[in-house]
Amino acid sequence: MMFKFLYPSHLFSFLNKGISIISAIIIPFLFLSLIFALLISPQDYIQGDTVRIMYVHVPAAWMTLMCFGMISFLCILTFLFKTKNTILLYKSIAPIGLSLSLIAIITGSLWGEPTWGTYWVWDARLTSMLVLMFFYLIFIFSYKFISNQNLSLKVCTGISVIGLINLFIIKYSVNIWPTLHQTESIKIIGRTTVDSSMLLPLSMMLLVFFLYCALIFLMKYKSEVIRIKKKGLKKI
Amino acid sequence: MNLDIFVMNGYGVYVWSAFAFSFLVCFILFVKTKRTLKKLENEFKKEAMSLSDEKVSALKNKKVAQEILNTQQKAH
Amino acid sequence: MLVRAAKKRIKILVATLSLLILIAIFSLVVLRDNILYFLSPTEIKNSENLNYSKKIRVGGMVKTGSVSINNNEINFIITDLSNEIFVTFKGTVPNLFSEGKGVVAEGKLKDKKFFIAKRILAKHDENYMPPSAEKILNKDVK
Repeated sequence: MMFKFLYPSHLFSFLNKGISIISAIIIPFLFLSLIFALLISPQDYIQGDTVRIMYVHVPAAWMTLMCFGMISFLCILTFLFKTKNTILLYKSIAPIGLSLSLIAIITGSLWGEPTWGTYWVWDARLTSMLVLMFFYLIFIFSYKFISNQNLSLKVCTGISVIGLINLFIIKYSVNIWPTLHQTESIKIIGRTTVDSSMLLPLSMMLLVFFLYCALIFLMKYKSEVIRIKKKGLKKI
Repeated sequence: MNLDIFVMNGYGVYVWSAFAFSFLVCFILFVKTKRTLKKLENEFKKEAMSLSDEKVSALKNKKVAQEILNTQQKAH
Repeated sequence: MLVRAAKKRIKILVATLSLLILIAIFSLVVLRDNILYFLSPTEIKNSENLNYSKKIRVGGMVKTGSVSINNNEINFIITDLSNEIFVTFKGTVPNLFSEGKGVVAEGKLKDKKFFIAKRILAKHDENYMPPSAEKILNKDVK
């Protein structure tokens, strides 16, 4: 089989190692990043201290987009090749993405009030981000509550494909339409408009968020594998 | 004591609540995940113990099952 | 080698995906007026069927030197560098509202050149830097 490396028996021994390594380094790294984000990094020239909200808002938003991208990829893979083990993978990612989308929306509105003068507006970026959160919710519901596995997979694939289109809408919303939300600052092509003194805490926090996602993912995946092996015990 | 870090020119309430909220959500998700994992590990161990001897020897050849039981022993 | 069933599923997926993308693009184009969060002064000048009783939003830059405050009433000009619109507003503005910065005003048009705002939102740009870096940048420009 082409997806043999995804089999639980190959992955399981790495899970424990991964979990212990990440849980050992994440706490010191979190404190270091927080010191940079809240104390060392400078104020913004117009936004003052509110710019510090960026250090949780942006990583959370990026990671939630990345999680949905991964889910869509895995879901489509499962649908096309009927690989059972990829189901465990996307089930383990979805709750992380949901939590992060909630964080991105709430911190975003806490950033909006002191800068824009409002907690919420219905502009293209904010609305499409809210839609993403609902996509996560429906996605989780449809694998939790649809007991027919075949049907559940079809529904999940449908949601993830539509959600994938929404993902591109989120990404490009600030460029296509006039929005209250500012356009992107960190560009792969072109000049990044975040000063290096702020880019450092931002990338540190991004790494912290990434490690956190990896940790939760490994723990959730391990739980799913044990759940399956537990069923297997009865059949020996 | 210097209160500037908490006040942040009046923006402190927004900044701190944003950080606190993020931390809270992450913490809740972590605790929930950890609890489920622990519960499943314990249940697995219980069921493995209740198996008959002949089944236990069959279990010895299962790599993943052994790993689950091993991590349990370390945790206790 | 792909199984025939998998090939069939790929076809289904590609067909669904392209159909969905078409639907998405179509509905975004149709709904464009609702997605636009604000209009620029130029768009207001050029549009022919403006509804003067409906709440709309105008966005752009606060023209430098145009802000005047008397008795809780703020008057200023929103510009997109080619056209301008005069705005009057009663109330408090966000902290980030200032001359030369982005703004979105929500309210009703009196005519194409005069806007009565009920709410003012500040729009900031995508530049983040410490105050010291901004001073250096301004010196370079001057």
